Amino acid sequence: MIHFLMKRLLSIIPVLLGISLLLFFMLRMLPGDPAQVLAGQMASPEDVRIIRIQMGLDQPLYIQYGVFLKRLVHLDLGVSARTQNPVIQEIWARLPNTILLALCAITLACLFGIPAGVVAAIRPYSWIDYLVTLASLFGISMPVFWLGLMLMIVFSITLQWLPAGGIGTWKHLVLPSITLASFVVAFIARMTRSCMLEVLSQDYVTTARSKGLKEKVIIVKHALKNALIPIITVVGLQFGLLLGGAVLTETVFAWPGLGRLIVDSILARDYAMIQGSILIFGLLYTLVNLLVDMTYAFVDPRVRYD
Amino acid sequence: MQKQNVKRFGRVLPWGVIAAIFLFWMVLPAGAAQIKELKIGIGVDADTLNPQEQTTTLFQNICDLIYDNMYYQDQDGNLHPRLLSSHDVSEDGLTWTLHLQKGVKFSDGTVFNADVVKLTWDRILNPDMRVPLRFAVSMVKEAVIIDDYTVQLNLAYPFAPLDATLSMSLVSAISPAALEKYGEDVRQHPVGPGPYVLSEWVKGDRIVLTRNEEYWGKTPTVDKLTFKVIPEATTREAMLRTGEIDICYKPLPSNVASLDKMDDITVEMPLSTRTIFMGLNTQKGVTTDKKVRQAFNYAVDKKAIVERILFNTAEPMDGPVSPKVFGYMKMDHQYDYDPDKASQLLKEAGFDFSKTISMRTPNGRYLFDKQVSEVVQAYLQAIGVKVELRTYDWPTYVAGLLKPIEESELEVFLLGWGPLFLDADMGLYGQFTTEVNPPKGLGSAFYSNPVYDDIMKASRKAQDPKERLALLKQASEMVWDDCPWIWLHVEKFVLAYSSKIKNLAVTPTEKFFPTYITME
Repeated sequence: MIHFLMKRLLSIIPVLLGISLLLFFMLRMLPGDPAQVLAGQMASPEDVRIIRIQMGLDQPLYIQYGVFLKRLVHLDLGVSARTQNPVIQEIWARLPNTILLALCAITLACLFGIPAGVVAAIRPYSWIDYLVTLASLFGISMPVFWLGLMLMIVFSITLQWLPAGGIGTWKHLVLPSITLASFVVAFIARMTRSCMLEVLSQDYVTTARSKGLKEKVIIVKHALKNALIPIITVVGLQFGLLLGGAVLTETVFAWPGLGRLIVDSILARDYAMIQGSILIFGLLYTLVNLLVDMTYAFVDPRVRYD
Repeated sequence: MQKQNVKRFGRVLPWGVIAAIFLFWMVLPAGAAQIKELKIGIGVDADTLNPQEQTTTLFQNICDLIYDNMYYQDQDGNLHPRLLSSHDVSEDGLTWTLHLQKGVKFSDGTVFNADVVKLTWDRILNPDMRVPLRFAVSMVKEAVIIDDYTVQLNLAYPFAPLDATLSMSLVSAISPAALEKYGEDVRQHPVGPGPYVLSEWVKGDRIVLTRNEEYWGKTPTVDKLTFKVIPEATTREAMLRTGEIDICYKPLPSNVASLDKMDDITVEMPLSTRTIFMGLNTQKGVTTDKKVRQAFNYAVDKKAIVERILFNTAEPMDGPVSPKVFGYMKMDHQYDYDPDKASQLLKEAGFDFSKTISMRTPNGRYLFDKQVSEVVQAYLQAIGVKVELRTYDWPTYVAGLLKPIEESELEVFLLGWGPLFLDADMGLYGQFTTEVNPPKGLGSAFYSNPVYDDIMKASRKAQDPKERLALLKQASEMVWDDCPWIWLHVEKFVLAYSSKIKNLAVTPTEKFFPTYITME
């Protein structure tokens, strides 16, 4: 297990190097001068030139990449062109908010998605199955932006139960978590339903039933446990996506997370900030994947990493 | 007897004090009451709070609250003394003597004097410092200390509107002690002599300012200003409606009418200095012909754009600069919507209708910019001109605008231009003189007229306002007739806030000052 863990952790290094290489050169291929964006539209060419030199953008690309890699080895992600603050400091100020929101959303999604999928699978093609399917379809097709605004109109403006935006208390978490979870819950419910249906048709479930085991025990111990591996995979992938894909929810609910920081940085062509944030996302995503792989072994004793 | 009187006095005294307090409370104007906190919803977080580095009006506004200004320019363009009490100008206009306010201290206790002002100017003029708006004071060669409270600015060429320029945040002073303590990181730890002090900055979430207890001027009425970052305009409006914020910065134009109808919300929208226009390349392509450019102006119904696309949060241009700036003149001749006249002019110009014109637009930079461009495209197509519209993100767009004429592919492009103080110079000089043709500036219509250039140069030398006004009028008429732009509209600065707030100072340079508001 430890050997496997070490191997996987080491494999993160070439993955991050690959991301950094692609990202670095793709960003430089984008039209638009970061120095000009920073200086504003009225700045003189001379002042823009000075800013370009200060940002090191006058150097050849391979030297810029070399400097970037050298810093990376020392765990230094550089300095944001826009704020002149260390990138790691800017990310660190927002990362806990992003993780908190993603954790709440994924927890909500699991709490509602898995039971809904199980219930739908137990009674396939019944009204409850159709209801879960319809709700899932609604969840997947509903634009996050629209749902967020609707929730805000109902719970903040009309009922005045919850704040419309910002951070601070648990109340601020409710609406963004529901909005973000709506999409994921549908995925998890659909996946749980199909996995459970497959498992419930297996011989060992029939054997368990013929042995006279209680239906509850069959569903929870025999069926759900065996159906969990693909569900965990989906949950892991969705969690990874939530970490980086919450831009719209963060924007609607004024949630100061990383997604918004990346979008702002792209619009300002803040190379160091984009590179740093995407690398951190890459790192988090690979770590979540590793965690998912490790969880397999706990759920299914047949999975061994020795 | 005396003892008895003292006893009686002792019994009456507490009641007297209570009555006096009550009376004082009764006669105290409601506005003088201290306001604990004012929450302001803004769209983005600040990058820097160093006034020399800042280019965004909103954060220059926050800088003004922390650093104060040398002069304060009110909504009518009048200058009021702040950190400068007055100034003198030499006859040749090359020497400006600034008289500093005495008794001013920074919030860290450092004294504001000539040394500080000299240091500020040295930093602004140092080419190694990041000062994006340096061009606005590029006429200043050096600052010289005359005495403790007098500084002399020596200019390379006369520049009449320098007094208005001194109202910009660009020239505000940072505490030398803070500069020594934080170095360039002072951008995150601003220390100024203004009415407020930065007390908290939670990245991406809020900027909190508290009252500067050492402020030299009148005591601000608000104890704490919290600027909440709420990127989505709809959310800002929702939070204003629920009372989570008191001021909503730039609500959506489409919602302004419904906000205005609410009893507990006040919508204020003074005309801003920002003009929005369709630049027409005067040196390349079909728009080199003046008749074609004039035809395009007649072809577009600007009033309809303002009413139907911008929900009246703008006004059609009736001169080449905003009516809010010194030097504005309403032009005698107006390009009112007249498609027949437009067609006639195109015919006279021998316009080739088989050609497709390329139109460029940013998306999201200005109020409904893409939609405005689409409507202009439709108006031009209505008179038979084929137009292809391309949308770009801002960095890509600016890169295209800044190419020199040999490389430029620009034909028709949408742009906005907002002078940073209330004077026509930044508009008329900054957009139409040959000097600002790309790549040197963003005069991307490539308008070049030696006579116009001479008039504008003369206007900078003219110290007499009347003489200057006459020259600016002459320049305005010339460029208005030449039509290097389709003259579209002047934006309004929209601010929605709780109706309890009174006396909020809002300026055409898109700034607002809640320093001395009162609350009902």
